[in-house]
Amino acid sequence: MTKRLVCRVADVPENGLKECEAEGGLRLVVANAGGEFFGFQAVCPHQDVPLCEGLFDGATLTCHMHLWQWDIRTGSPLGLAEAPLQRYPLAREGEDLYLGGEATALDVGELFNGIAAGTIEKLAALARRESHQPGAVLYRPGDPAEDFFVLDSGRVEFLVGRGDRTAPGGFMLKKGEVFGWAALLDGYPVRIASARCLEASLLLRINGKAALRVLEGDPSSGFVVMRRLAALIARYLASSGAR
Amino acid sequence: MRIQLNARNRGYDFEAQPGEKVLYAGLRAGIDLPYECATGTCGTCKAKAVAGRVCNGWPQAPGRNFVKPEAGEFLMCQCAAEEALTLEVSKFVYDMEPGACVPQTCVGTVRNARRLTHDVMGFALELERPRDFDAGQFVLLAPAGLAGYRAYSMCNFERGGRQLEFIVKRKPDGGFSDWLFGADRDGARLETFGPLGKATFDPALAKNVLCIAGGSGIAGMMSILSRAARSRYFDRYRGWLFFGVRSMRDAFFLDQLSAFRRQFPDRLQITIALSDADAPASAARDWPALGFVRGMVHEVAKRMMAGKYQDLRAYVAGPPPAVDAAIRVLLLEAKLTTDNIRYDKFS
Repeated sequence: MTKRLVCRVADVPENGLKECEAEGGLRLVVANAGGEFFGFQAVCPHQDVPLCEGLFDGATLTCHMHLWQWDIRTGSPLGLAEAPLQRYPLAREGEDLYLGGEATALDVGELFNGIAAGTIEKLAALARRESHQPGAVLYRPGDPAEDFFVLDSGRVEFLVGRGDRTAPGGFMLKKGEVFGWAALLDGYPVRIASARCLEASLLLRINGKAALRVLEGDPSSGFVVMRRLAALIARYLASSGAR
Repeated sequence: MRIQLNARNRGYDFEAQPGEKVLYAGLRAGIDLPYECATGTCGTCKAKAVAGRVCNGWPQAPGRNFVKPEAGEFLMCQCAAEEALTLEVSKFVYDMEPGACVPQTCVGTVRNARRLTHDVMGFALELERPRDFDAGQFVLLAPAGLAGYRAYSMCNFERGGRQLEFIVKRKPDGGFSDWLFGADRDGARLETFGPLGKATFDPALAKNVLCIAGGSGIAGMMSILSRAARSRYFDRYRGWLFFGVRSMRDAFFLDQLSAFRRQFPDRLQITIALSDADAPASAARDWPALGFVRGMVHEVAKRMMAGKYQDLRAYVAGPPPAVDAAIRVLLLEAKLTTDNIRYDKFS
């Protein structure tokens, strides 16, 4: 793969932000956090506001429009933010910054981003990469809940209920979103909704029990994942007042 | 008209009256749909039609820049369903919490329209039915025959009351302000929809309160002070209000603000920030309960609040540049967390 220049180190002020276009045409915002450089999608995932206009204190990036915030080291959402930032690893060579390898769905995912690299590798080794056509059904109510899924690209829709008595149960469309997480819980052996691909979709399928064994081997990462899973479930149960 | 709304987390079903905007129909049904201005500017209520057509009441709305009509996207605050409609909102959407003031339409009559300054008027609206709202909320107003709602914050606070108090600043383009300033409007009837807005105060907050208002942003702050005074909130918690105007001729509500200060002389501090001119010596004599300081309101607040940001909720309202500047101070200097910054940006 050819190296893609993003910008020069001197272009990004200390504890500042700069929007750059990498060679080959990818726009990203580069943050200089005390001499360490981090690259992210150039616009806010909320409403396409340029993140280079945001506020940055060297640790937290805030979009000025609706005060969504992210951890600059990982792109994890903080506070009001409902979605992570797509991270683009940067490699420094002398005074230049280049795009590193592209982050995988696991790296950017809401459950796993920022956990120990060795643990991500073990989870990646468990993942089966699947490609589905529009209309493909991944599971139905009553199916065994053995695997969970991480969305890489495409779109998946959920329906709760059976037969013709169904209601929409939401949808997934962001790289790194996790669904089918009953596979990570004890006592929920079967699916309670159906999941169907609305578009051609790329997914990672990971066995829940095997993933839990990996996380048991790295309890500090496992703790982070379980905290995020609890927050994710709460988000589906919450009422507006709780927010 | 049946509307099926699919959100990131679940689906909702509700009914809309013919011609009723999708946003207002959903809110009326107790669904906490995403919105901020509710009047076509901010783009927050963007949705996508999956099946069925919508009729756009204001294709030129400033918020059009946030949507791609060719992809079926539209602003829920400007569009009505023309037939059964299925739409998608790419956000988490929840039911309103129990006890929330669910917005409704209601007709009201203009009373006591009066000049407060050379370009600000005050008036009351007497509603046909009592309506609850939270301190800091706004409603949408439209005179019969004038296209489109305008948003105005209530200045008063009352539970189960029938009277809403407003201020209106004259704007060069402004449909509603031209209408109000243009003739004697006492007795005129207005359509309203509300209450709306999440920059609300409730005494259960149990924190010190900082209010930063630019110009007519003072409206919501008056409601907040009213609510707080009623429950003797400033017997226990500290309060600071910074009210930014250009010069003394643009200042108003000084008597009412003085009255709040006199009720809580120990814990409530009120400062008028004058951006363009020093306060005349008579100001301190006429309103001894208030402070008068030269400077932009966010800079005055920053100077006077240094070291006092612990255990604090901030409310900010006014024109976008003033609000953005204040938020910058609150995040970067005061290090407040975002859930303790509530703001209302007029645009």
